[in-house]
Amino acid sequence: MRSLALAAFAAVALVSAAAAGGSGSAPEPEGLWTGPIPGYTPSTLKGAAVIDVAAAGSLVDKGGAVFIDVTEPDHKPAALPPTALWRPQHRSIPGAVWFPGAAPGDLPPAHEDALKKRVETLTGGDKAKPVVAFCHPDCWGSWNMGKRLVTWGYTKVSWFPEGIDGWQKADRDTEVVPADPDWAAVTKQEAGR
Amino acid sequence: MKKYAIIAGAAALAITSASGAYAADDAKAREQRWTELRQSVFGDKQVEQQDGLITLDAPVRAEDAALVPMDIKVSNPDQVKGLTLIIDENPGPVAAKIDFGPAGDPGLLRLRTRVNAYSNVHAIAETKDGKLVETVKFVKASGGCSAPVGGGAEGTVGEMRLKVKDEATAGKSAQATLMIRHPNFNGMQKDQQSHLYTPANYIKDIKVTYNDKDVFSLTSDISLSTNPVIEFGFKPEAKGQFKVVANDTSGGHFEKTFDVPVKTQ
Repeated sequence: MRSLALAAFAAVALVSAAAAGGSGSAPEPEGLWTGPIPGYTPSTLKGAAVIDVAAAGSLVDKGGAVFIDVTEPDHKPAALPPTALWRPQHRSIPGAVWFPGAAPGDLPPAHEDALKKRVETLTGGDKAKPVVAFCHPDCWGSWNMGKRLVTWGYTKVSWFPEGIDGWQKADRDTEVVPADPDWAAVTKQEAGR
Repeated sequence: MKKYAIIAGAAALAITSASGAYAADDAKAREQRWTELRQSVFGDKQVEQQDGLITLDAPVRAEDAALVPMDIKVSNPDQVKGLTLIIDENPGPVAAKIDFGPAGDPGLLRLRTRVNAYSNVHAIAETKDGKLVETVKFVKASGGCSAPVGGGAEGTVGEMRLKVKDEATAGKSAQATLMIRHPNFNGMQKDQQSHLYTPANYIKDIKVTYNDKDVFSLTSDISLSTNPVIEFGFKPEAKGQFKVVANDTSGGHFEKTFDVPVKTQ
C-alpha cells in the first residue's frame, strides 16, 4: 500500500516535472532536432545508451571508444575593440574529436556527408565501435549527433548529456582540442568565429 | 585470489598513470597558454613570481560562473601603480586593466567576473619602478561567458551607486564600492526567446576621480559580470567628492558625482 502510494507520488512528480519543463523534459522528436540548439532535450535517445560521468570516464580509461564533441564555437563579439585580445580555445575530454558547427539538425548536405565520412574514418568503418556524443547540458547538439550515429547504423552509441560541464565538475582532466582539421577544411569552422 | 589482486593492481596502476599523463600534459598546456598570453599583453617584459606583494582570492569552485568574485590584494600599496587581471581560458582573457592615481589605494580591489572554463586566473601588479609581479589561482567555473543574462539587468542602464565602507577618516585609506547598472552583454550570449546572439554592449572603461585627483581608471572587455561591481581603495581628505565616468561599447556615456562624508581626526 505504502509503496503504491509512493509510486503514485513519484508518477505525479514525474509528470509535473515534465509539464513544468526542465532538463530532459522534451519529448523525443521523430528525426533530428532542427530548432534552437540550446534548450531542454529529451532524457532518452532511441537506439543509444544515455551515460553519466562515471560511465563516460570508464570508457575513456578503458580506451577504444570514439568521443565526438559538437560544442558550438565561442561567438566572437562584433563590438570587440581592435586592441582587445581574442584567443578562443576549446577544452574537451582528452582524446575527443571536436566538430564545431555540427550541432544543427539541418546541416547542408555537403557538411552532413563530411561528418558521416569523418566518423567512418574515426571508427575504422566498424559500426560496432563504441561512439560517444557530447557537448554541454541542455544542448541539442549532442542529442542530434547521437541520433545521427544511430541512423548511420552504429550499434554502440552513447549519449553523454552532462557533457564537458559534468566532466569538469567530476574533476576529470580536460585538454585543449582543436577543431577536427578535415571537418574544418570543409566547413571553415574554427575555434571561435 | 592472488592473481586477481595483481590484475586489479595493474589495472589501477594503468588508470592512474593514464590520468597522470593527462594531468602533466594539461599543466604544460596551461603553462604554454599563459606564456603566450603574457607575451601578448606584456611583450618581452619579465614577469616575476615574487611571494607576498600580490595575492588573488577567488573561490576554488564558483557557485555561479557568470558572477565569480576576484579579490586582488597588494601588501605594499605604495609600491604599486597598476593591476591586470587575466582569466586564461576566457576567449577574451584580459578581464581588467587598472591604473591607480594619487588618490587611489591598490591595497584591495574586488571585481565580479565571468569565467568560461576551468581556468588559471593571473593577477599582475605593476610597481612604480616598472617591475611586473604575478600571482595565480585555479578557478573551477565554466560557461560564464555565454550564460544568459538573467534578472537584475532591468532598470536604467548606466545608473550608478557608490558606497563608502564604514566611515571614511581623512588621511586614512578607505574602501568604496561602485555599482553600475548595465547588462554588460559580451556578444556571446544568446537571447532565450529569439535564440539569436545579443549584440555586445558592455562597459569598456571606467574612470573614478576624487577631488579631481585620479583614483583609478579601468579598461575591460568581455569578462566583467552584468551590473559591474567594483570595490576599490581611496585616500579620503577632509572633504570629498567622487566623480565617476564610464563608457560602453555602443556609445553610452555615464557620469555621476557622489559627495563623501568624511570624519576629520
